[in-house]
Amino acid sequence: MANAYGDTAHHDHHHDDHHDQPATGIKRWLFATNHKDIGTMYLVFSLIMFFIGGAMAMVIRAELFQPGLQLVDPVFFNQMTTNHALIMIFGAVMPAFVGLANWMIPLQIGAPDMALPRMNNFSFWILPFAFTLLLSTLFVPGGMVAGGWTLYPPLSLQTGDSFPMLIFAIHMMGISSIMGAINVIVTIMNMRAPGMNLLKMPLFAWSWLITAYLLIAVMPVLAGAVTMLLTDHFFKTSFFNAAGGGDPVMFEHIFWFFGHPEVYIMVLPAFGIISEILPTFSRKPLFGATSMIYAIASIAFLSFIVWGHHMFVDGMPLAAQLFYMMATMLIAVPTGVKVFNWTATMWRGSLSFEPPMLFAIAFLFLFSIGGFSGLMLAIVPVDFQYNQTYFVVAHFHYVLVPGAIFGIMAGVYYWLPKWTGHMYSMGLAKTHFWLSAIFVNVLFFPQHFLGLAGMPRRIPDYAVQFTDWNMVSSIGGFAFGLSQILFAIVIVQSIRGGKQATAQVWEGTHPTGLEWTLSSPPPYHSFTTAPQIP
Amino acid sequence: MSAAESQVKEAAVRRRVRNGALGLAALALAFYFGFIVLLVHHSHH
Repeated sequence: MANAYGDTAHHDHHHDDHHDQPATGIKRWLFATNHKDIGTMYLVFSLIMFFIGGAMAMVIRAELFQPGLQLVDPVFFNQMTTNHALIMIFGAVMPAFVGLANWMIPLQIGAPDMALPRMNNFSFWILPFAFTLLLSTLFVPGGMVAGGWTLYPPLSLQTGDSFPMLIFAIHMMGISSIMGAINVIVTIMNMRAPGMNLLKMPLFAWSWLITAYLLIAVMPVLAGAVTMLLTDHFFKTSFFNAAGGGDPVMFEHIFWFFGHPEVYIMVLPAFGIISEILPTFSRKPLFGATSMIYAIASIAFLSFIVWGHHMFVDGMPLAAQLFYMMATMLIAVPTGVKVFNWTATMWRGSLSFEPPMLFAIAFLFLFSIGGFSGLMLAIVPVDFQYNQTYFVVAHFHYVLVPGAIFGIMAGVYYWLPKWTGHMYSMGLAKTHFWLSAIFVNVLFFPQHFLGLAGMPRRIPDYAVQFTDWNMVSSIGGFAFGLSQILFAIVIVQSIRGGKQATAQVWEGTHPTGLEWTLSSPPPYHSFTTAPQIP
Repeated sequence: MSAAESQVKEAAVRRRVRNGALGLAALALAFYFGFIVLLVHHSHH
């Protein structure tokens, strides 16, 4: 009987294994339509961007090691902070999650590939062009964009030749993200194996389904905002130009209508990954799986109505301040549900502490610290004090580094043996974990103290009383950055060889996703016959 | 099966995939132009 894939029941995997081998050489990658190949390219690309963005962070921390100007001029410093953010957000974190989605969603839901494989190829290959364009602004007159990743006018409108290049790069990144999101949604909605209803779907796929809707809703808003910046700059419109009757604060509203959901775009898939890993290494099913889905959906909904908390100091009516403050604090409720469920999953579980579990537990503790400082920043009068200080820098780095990036690392360590077919060096991976977990705190925790003491963000120089904690933070930064070389070594070693991984990979794997029913590595074309879910 | 082909063979599923993708793309374009139109309108009042 033909199934939804058009295959007949007598087909089996072995038939396809020897029939469809990957193309050889560069063609395999240039014309890739296989979700595994495209997933690999996304992950490699994001790792490269992670190191480029990380190098910029090293420049920032080196300059801030002591007061005074010693290494770079202030304009270049601002170029580094701006482009570090743009590269880490759009080049490292987002493509890493798209790579994980490409690899894992078809495998988890029993689909043979993404629903739109050619569009998948296109959405990846836009990215190298976008980031080459962005990085090449380093060599144009005036240098890179330096007004902060938020691109607030009128400052951003004073940028030199790099401005239109950045705008074009952002448009390309947006198109890539939207195409990736469309692909995820239509794949999940149409390609699930027979019997896999939405409530049986693994949490990682669920988190990505919700994230994809967020992407489609907000990436066009960013694109619209930067298009209007472009017309203000070159075509004499006055959307955001006060001299022409425009409203620069309107840009901030539009930017943060994109920007706040963007924060959740970068962390919801990590929630999904953690929800996969904790049950495996606790040897228990996920506690409250359905409530996790509702919690993710609630967080996604709330992310659309809290953008004003980024703009308290702009001045807004008291009612608006109260609304944004309370709506922001409301996010703590579904987030609390998730943290409770993760903790309850581990409660009385038979825990073991392999690298994915270590990163997942660190995520749980350290992301919560970022969440708590977020609650502090949500309080309007408190935000008046903390705004534009290093406290904000500490807050969002706790959310994004031990939050989003530890989530990605946990996912990579969890699924790497499935992808390569080889177990990696546990000792090296655990060393990577401990160095990362220790130095990420040495790097970012002192920034809370600096912010509370009044050190402003986005400056290359500072008053001498901030010296000690800046030195500590910089030492943490250099050590954290160097530790990441171990991550690359573990990945390369696992690709090159090692102990053969079993299909199940981890002893405690709780089989919610179908990836564990396939061999490690899975066949190049997997699930050409749809599996049946009981 | 060519590596470049979509793996979805059944016409009804292919139609659902195509319609879903076009619908979502239309939604994205509506957000893009919608915000620009909104601001053009805002700048005239």
